[in-house]
Amino acid sequence: MLTRFLVIFSASLFLSYCTRGSKVSENSIQFPMKMNLSSLDPAQASNEATNEVGPNINETLLQYNYLKRPLTVEPLLAATMPTVSKDGLVHTFKIKPGVRFHDDAAFKDGKGRELVAADFIYAWKRLADPKSKSEGWWIFDGKIKGFNEWRDKLTKGEATYETAIEGLQTPDDHTIVITLSKPYYQLYYVLTMIYSSPVPKEAVDKYGAEFLNHPVGTGPFVFVNWIRGNKVVLKRNPTYHGSLYPSAGEPGDQEAGLLADAGKPLPFVDELIFHEVPEDQPRWLNMMRGNFDISEIPKDSFDGAVGPDKELKADMKAKGFELKKYKVQEVVYMGINMDDPVLGKNRNLRTALCYAYDQKTPIERFYNGRAIVAHSMIGPDMDGYDESFKLPCKEYSLEKAKEYLKKAGFPDGKGLEPIEYSFPTSATGRQFGEYVQEQFGKIGVKTVLTGNSWPQFQDRLRNKKAQMFGIAWGADYPDAENMMQLLYGPNVSPGPNSANFKNKEFDKLYEEASKMPPGEARTVAYKKMRDIFAAELPWIPTVHRLGFQLSHGWVENLKPNKTLPNPFKYMKVNLEKKKALKAKL
Amino acid sequence: MSTVATQNFVPVAELKAAKGRSLWQDAFRRLRHEKVAMISLAIIIAYLVMAALCAAGLLFTNYNVTDHGAAYLPPGAGHWMGTDIFGRDVMARAAHGTITSLIVGFFGAALAVVIGTVMGAISGYFGGVIDELIVWFYTTVDTIPYILLVVAFSFVVGPGLSTLCLAIGLTSWIGHCRIVRSEFMKHRDREYVHGATALGAGHARRIFVHILPNVFHLVLINFSLGFVTAVKSEVILSYLGLGVAAGTPSWGMMISDAKLELAREVWWGLAAATFFMFFLVLAFTLFNDALRDALDPKLKSR
Repeated sequence: MLTRFLVIFSASLFLSYCTRGSKVSENSIQFPMKMNLSSLDPAQASNEATNEVGPNINETLLQYNYLKRPLTVEPLLAATMPTVSKDGLVHTFKIKPGVRFHDDAAFKDGKGRELVAADFIYAWKRLADPKSKSEGWWIFDGKIKGFNEWRDKLTKGEATYETAIEGLQTPDDHTIVITLSKPYYQLYYVLTMIYSSPVPKEAVDKYGAEFLNHPVGTGPFVFVNWIRGNKVVLKRNPTYHGSLYPSAGEPGDQEAGLLADAGKPLPFVDELIFHEVPEDQPRWLNMMRGNFDISEIPKDSFDGAVGPDKELKADMKAKGFELKKYKVQEVVYMGINMDDPVLGKNRNLRTALCYAYDQKTPIERFYNGRAIVAHSMIGPDMDGYDESFKLPCKEYSLEKAKEYLKKAGFPDGKGLEPIEYSFPTSATGRQFGEYVQEQFGKIGVKTVLTGNSWPQFQDRLRNKKAQMFGIAWGADYPDAENMMQLLYGPNVSPGPNSANFKNKEFDKLYEEASKMPPGEARTVAYKKMRDIFAAELPWIPTVHRLGFQLSHGWVENLKPNKTLPNPFKYMKVNLEKKKALKAKL
Repeated sequence: MSTVATQNFVPVAELKAAKGRSLWQDAFRRLRHEKVAMISLAIIIAYLVMAALCAAGLLFTNYNVTDHGAAYLPPGAGHWMGTDIFGRDVMARAAHGTITSLIVGFFGAALAVVIGTVMGAISGYFGGVIDELIVWFYTTVDTIPYILLVVAFSFVVGPGLSTLCLAIGLTSWIGHCRIVRSEFMKHRDREYVHGATALGAGHARRIFVHILPNVFHLVLINFSLGFVTAVKSEVILSYLGLGVAAGTPSWGMMISDAKLELAREVWWGLAAATFFMFFLVLAFTLFNDALRDALDPKLKSR
């Protein structure tokens, strides 16, 4: 499964960077990417940068509504939401007619042809084909009838791309019938991921290995060029099929001006330029000069730009900067190896540690206040997340911690061997470790800190060598299932369940919920699972981080969300405001 | 003829006066006159005393006392070198970092010197196939850049004080081994060695009792050079998160913290660690230099 761990050790080369000399339309968005782009082939979209650029060129059957939270799925290349059979296994998608691929030399006369159902099947088969080096096979692996068998045969040379797959049928050019081998309600979510976007066979055949440099799609923007290590330029697609700006949002959107363009055809800007700027400093300075339109605030520049009230400082406001805060669907936690004979078998001890950990200091020191306390494994704005739910032990209390420690059989920590805490080595990671050590020390529990390289850290988790470990998980899609699988019994190490949590009731609920469509019954199941989690405490959840997005006042229609893949087509540049504000920078 | 003989004649009384000063005594006598060397030695001893007092819990006992309300205090009356992210006294932590550095410096360098001396002695003394094998071995190891080798070693064995000493010791003996080898090659055919052989001394006796004392000054110089290298390696490895266990005060970790802190204009952590490291490394380097001069017979006239 695509794991987007958020604890990233970034060490990148300094990039000489220049924005001068190129003529850029004023009606454009210039976006700095933190990571270097490696490929524009949708099949190789495991990289953050590919996920930022790609969805503007290549579209998917479904997308998330830009304004609704929690994220809800709506049709994009599909004409409507699919029809589903009674058993929930057969999903029939109708494709929007008249959607054309971008004009490209790969097509006859260089004119983009119409998108057909076979383009989807071809693209999905590429995901399964080991030759295309795809990292996205997991979205269909074991889920679609006959797909895995086809893959095995293809690898052995017994099947070709022409060989039909039982679970992927195209009765006509505008219909796709997906037959699942078992219920898979995350199907609609994975169909919003760029992995699943259709690609024209002509382009793949023409460009071959170079296809990763020549993306061809149906999206609102057409690929112009990519200077590796520098920037990618996209321009407005003149033949765009015209997806529209949402006409309804959430309460507050109207006031925030997010509905001013309701119902208007997308996109709004002429050009999109993605700059590859791995270093914090040049990214920040260019943002300050107005060369970039949107950026995150580097941790180290935070105090300079944002005041103690977590609002922009007056000089930043005067220059027209705007700050948008948003919740990120993720959870940071201290996992506990439930196979450990001491910690794993002693709930009172786990509870004692949870009570002993004061969350206030880390939120201030490590996150500049950009985090909220986590009370469960479910990230904010996800199905099953309940703001009113409080995990009792998240209320800091040394008295209760000592009480539970006594109940656990270790009064004042006597008789307890030091607890081993593993973390991925980085200055911040280590500081976290030192903080944990200090907090547990207050109730007499000693801690040994083990700093690890990322591969070492993964190795410790896979082989159940860690006793406790600090980690974070960012959701691949807005479904708590993506968090729940981290605690599902059959997923224990070396699987993603690094806490080695095994609970029959939890597993039963997980299996039941996986057969339920999104809705109240499933939410109830998720909440039950959360309650089991709260009672058993296989993790000590720490925080959900908050996103802080900085933008210039001339960029309109911003509603940031980390999971939503294609925000750029909704963005608009107010040219008059831009002229006025740029003069102030 | 007779006048010449008289000129070469040294009176017995003078001979007696010159006697009794070995190479070592001579070296120490000359070292004593070197001001810089003596000051350096004093600094080194001061560091040793400070580390011992810290380790014994008599000095800077507050190095691990946290006060979250007093984080990032600038240098001032209460905290001479300010406080860190958890409100701990930076000066106390830097002073305690000395313990780590001295332990790693001593054991790392000692291990390297022992391995280097034994390998070099065997290789230089026996020559032939044994020499070829040892030279092949250390040349191969030497092709791997030093820091990469130490990093790889720490990766495999895992962080910690003892593995750090091992990693540094096991990877930094090659230069010393080469020098000892060449000295042994030179000495093994000297007359005093042949004399020892004639008297029936075995290989071990010839190596350790006869030749080794004659090259021991090199061992000493290399040890103190290795000490400096080991101290610096510890700082680099701790900076990279591969050094001593987190939570142990270490200069490398303080510098690693500083890379984050500098953006918020917290400079005192970096300053304290650099200050403590600078004087230790400088004192050792100057002392080394003087020691080498003192032990070099060619510079005796000075």
